[in-house]
Amino acid sequence: MGILLFISVLLIAACGLIYELIAGTLASYLLGDSVLQFSTIIGCYLFAMGIGSALSRYIHRGLAYRFVWIELLLGVIGGFSSALLFLAFAYSQGFQIIMYALVVVIGMLVGLEIPILMRIVRERYHFRDVVAHVLTFDYLGALGASLLFPILLVPYFGLVRSAMLFGLINVAVALWSTFLFSKQLPSTRALRVLCVLVICGLAVGLAQAKRITAAAEDNIYADEIIFARDTRYQHIVLTRFKDDIRLFLNSHLQFSSRDEYRYHEALIHPALAAIPTPRRVLVLGGGDGLAVREILKYPQVESVTLVDLDPEMTHLFSTHPMLTGLNQKSFQSPRVHIINADAFPWVDSSTDSFDFIVIDFPDPTNYSLGKLYTTAFYKAAARHLSVQGLMVVQSTSPMFARDSYWCIVETLKQANLKTYPYHVYVPSFGEWGFVIASGHEYQPPTLLPAGLRFVSVDGLPSMFQFPPDMSPMTMPPNRLNDQVLVRAYDQDWKDISH
Amino acid sequence: MSRRKFLETGSAALIGLSIKGDRFIAGGFVNESFQLGHKLRDHGSFVAVTKVEKHSVVIVGGGIAGLSAAWRLHKRGFKDFVLLEMNDQPGGNSRWGENEITAYPWAAHYVPVPGPKATYVRELFEELGVLKDGVWEERFLCFTPQERLFLYGRWQDGIEPAIGLTDKDRDQFRRLEELIHNFRASGAFTIPMERGLLPSTADLDRSSFTDWLSQQGMDSRILNWYMNYCCRDDYGALAVDTSAWAGVHYFASREPEDKGPLTWPEGNGWIVKRLLERMGTYVRSGQMVHRIAERGKSFSICSGETEHRAECVIFAAPTFLAPYIIEGMAPLHDFEYSPWLTANLTLDRLPASYGTDLTWDNVVMDSPTLGYVDAMHQTLRSHVERTVWTFYWALSEGTPSANRALLLQKDWNYWKEAILHDLERVHPDIRQCVSRIDLMSFGHAMARPKPGAIFSAERRKLAQLNGRLLFANSDLSGFSIFEEAQYRGVRAAETALHLVGRA
Repeated sequence: MGILLFISVLLIAACGLIYELIAGTLASYLLGDSVLQFSTIIGCYLFAMGIGSALSRYIHRGLAYRFVWIELLLGVIGGFSSALLFLAFAYSQGFQIIMYALVVVIGMLVGLEIPILMRIVRERYHFRDVVAHVLTFDYLGALGASLLFPILLVPYFGLVRSAMLFGLINVAVALWSTFLFSKQLPSTRALRVLCVLVICGLAVGLAQAKRITAAAEDNIYADEIIFARDTRYQHIVLTRFKDDIRLFLNSHLQFSSRDEYRYHEALIHPALAAIPTPRRVLVLGGGDGLAVREILKYPQVESVTLVDLDPEMTHLFSTHPMLTGLNQKSFQSPRVHIINADAFPWVDSSTDSFDFIVIDFPDPTNYSLGKLYTTAFYKAAARHLSVQGLMVVQSTSPMFARDSYWCIVETLKQANLKTYPYHVYVPSFGEWGFVIASGHEYQPPTLLPAGLRFVSVDGLPSMFQFPPDMSPMTMPPNRLNDQVLVRAYDQDWKDISH
Repeated sequence: MSRRKFLETGSAALIGLSIKGDRFIAGGFVNESFQLGHKLRDHGSFVAVTKVEKHSVVIVGGGIAGLSAAWRLHKRGFKDFVLLEMNDQPGGNSRWGENEITAYPWAAHYVPVPGPKATYVRELFEELGVLKDGVWEERFLCFTPQERLFLYGRWQDGIEPAIGLTDKDRDQFRRLEELIHNFRASGAFTIPMERGLLPSTADLDRSSFTDWLSQQGMDSRILNWYMNYCCRDDYGALAVDTSAWAGVHYFASREPEDKGPLTWPEGNGWIVKRLLERMGTYVRSGQMVHRIAERGKSFSICSGETEHRAECVIFAAPTFLAPYIIEGMAPLHDFEYSPWLTANLTLDRLPASYGTDLTWDNVVMDSPTLGYVDAMHQTLRSHVERTVWTFYWALSEGTPSANRALLLQKDWNYWKEAILHDLERVHPDIRQCVSRIDLMSFGHAMARPKPGAIFSAERRKLAQLNGRLLFANSDLSGFSIFEEAQYRGVRAAETALHLVGRA
């Protein structure tokens, strides 16, 4: 009897701490600034426990009955706290109010538990032993919970399921107490039925936890997720809000359908329209087919070779009706040849020659991608340029990542290419930069394909002018053995996000 | 439930969660050459000679020294020579392997960017397209990120300890750097070492590197770990077993700001491949020379059933073998070698790391091993799933002979477990990632520059290149590095050309 009682102390102590840790972790995840979140949550929680303890003196009769009820309430509120908070963040404006209210309610209930329990058992033991035993197991439970939480619960169960699991424990203690304290309870039957019902509710919740997190994550991406897949190479997410479709690769925005025409017209036409007779085109990256759509506006182009690492990406943009609507079925054109390969080895081993080469890779966020922005890579790519050939490189933002942008320009120069940097404004990206590179002089075109929405002959000269806040920086080139670009890029984005 | 019982149950539950089924790991020892060596040592019987071949020059040993001698002879248009290599695969310490994922080294895996005095290395690299118009080919320089060190539970950038240093540690690192700077400026510590060797530095060779460091008041534990690591890495010996001269040479012989080193997936095997493309026709592998005898004006060199007659012999095999092969040669006393074990681990996926991501060279502080090198590091690909790690273990604790005995006694399973235990400290999930572990043991991997080795009269006499029997192994420099092997090979070839009247 004694030991069973003290184990319930241990369990309820663990439950209480878990709810507190979940609130702290969730707030840190969702709001950031973990020091602030944990401090305020621990403070509120302990204070609420104090309130609970103070209130316990107003409970005079029916101690065991009320104890069972407290456990039941804790099981329900604590068990669903995490799911509730996720949904509150996704669907309501008052996340913080709801969170602190929950913390206070749970804290008060936890504050009530121990004083009431001590009073229930005080007849059976010396006061000295009651205090010693109850507090010992209380602290032991806290230790167990604080170890289990980071090692086991967060990595293997996640926050939503962990809360429900411990809610179940609370209710189990309630059910168990109806047996432990049966002599002090007026009737146990109704209580037990209630306990079983709550256990069923939590078990259903546990089984459905994945759907709850999915529903919440949907809203964290701001818009409805219409496609999500982990391929061998990346995490692809497509979202839609009204007519705006957005593509994210590894959580980095690749385009928004509302303004992608600005990006892709600017990427292609300033260079391609300047080539006298462009017949053969190479696109490296660009698995969304949007750059190819622009290229196909030139009837002289006989073949477009697209090299993209991820077959699932090119397949998606060849078949998904919403996406083929965006790229105007460019991948279905007989002029287009898709090759799924790693770009650097492909460029190194191919012997083909091209009149226009488009280099449209994700930003250099790591050393693996950084290899595709080196002197060695640009030299290898330039070997494929025909006599009239031009190359264009997407080069990140000269505004937000100014050092990185001019580092790419310098790298192209060190690969013995003449460079023509330019930039445009793309609302969903901000100021964005490109570089035309070539072995010969480049002159902006005087004629463009009909029907463009953004690039115009009159507007071209201004794209090549850089205002003082984006003007050239002196940077070393990015080399395979000294990838300064990745470090600069990291620093550039750190500087603006802090 | 007692508290003790509670704790037992709890920890048992936690341990239970961490146990996963271990994968099957294949592999074995890939070399058996010690048996050939032991046959020499034990004066085993060899087959009788049935045919005789005549050449002007015979090169014994197909490591970097022997291949470099052949390279020079070939480059000078000299054709009347043959190179005899004991193993089936030439390359010596620059041998390599290859599987469906990548090529990988068995031992030497890089060459530091050569300084201006290493003229022969520069000449070779110009010929191989590594150096073009004074610029080093970017693809052969070690890519970013180069090195990391595991300490205090995480990986940091770079091998020199940077986190957790006290002011005292920092001060000693700085003072050592100043001392090294002065040694470097003295011009006495060069590569090749012969070009700078000054009698005034002989004192340094008499004490061990550890003693010298303590004389300088360098007692920082971190600094001493790092110095020990450097000695184990380049010489296979602890700092206490290394000549202070050699310890200083490691740092003072190279410029610190060079971006490098030069490396390839198969390590220095890449250089061997290029050399074999050029003069592979002169190389006969699987040919162990068991006797060299002077017969009047020529030499008789016996390997298997063939007796080669030559005017001049370049002995490029490890010098300790010479007294067992060369008739009438007195035993040697000043040559000591460090035993090594290398392993190539095939990984089906990369294990987790805490801290800096995987680099080229990955070192663990306070491990008895030297860590591992990623063979896929120099790939141009952006996406890598599988790789091969070359794991280096210089058996430097205890005497070389005891460690050689250990290498012979213990089976593959013993070493496999030892290696996995070492890696588990830094990659707890390593057993889930590795599918194969192949091992190569080297009883006499590298010359060990113990105190006195550099100024040893025996070493300097053999290194002199007088007579028609020319010694060319890198151990004549006191330590085994690519540049010394190549220098001695080329110099021996020049001397041989002179002797046969072709210079």
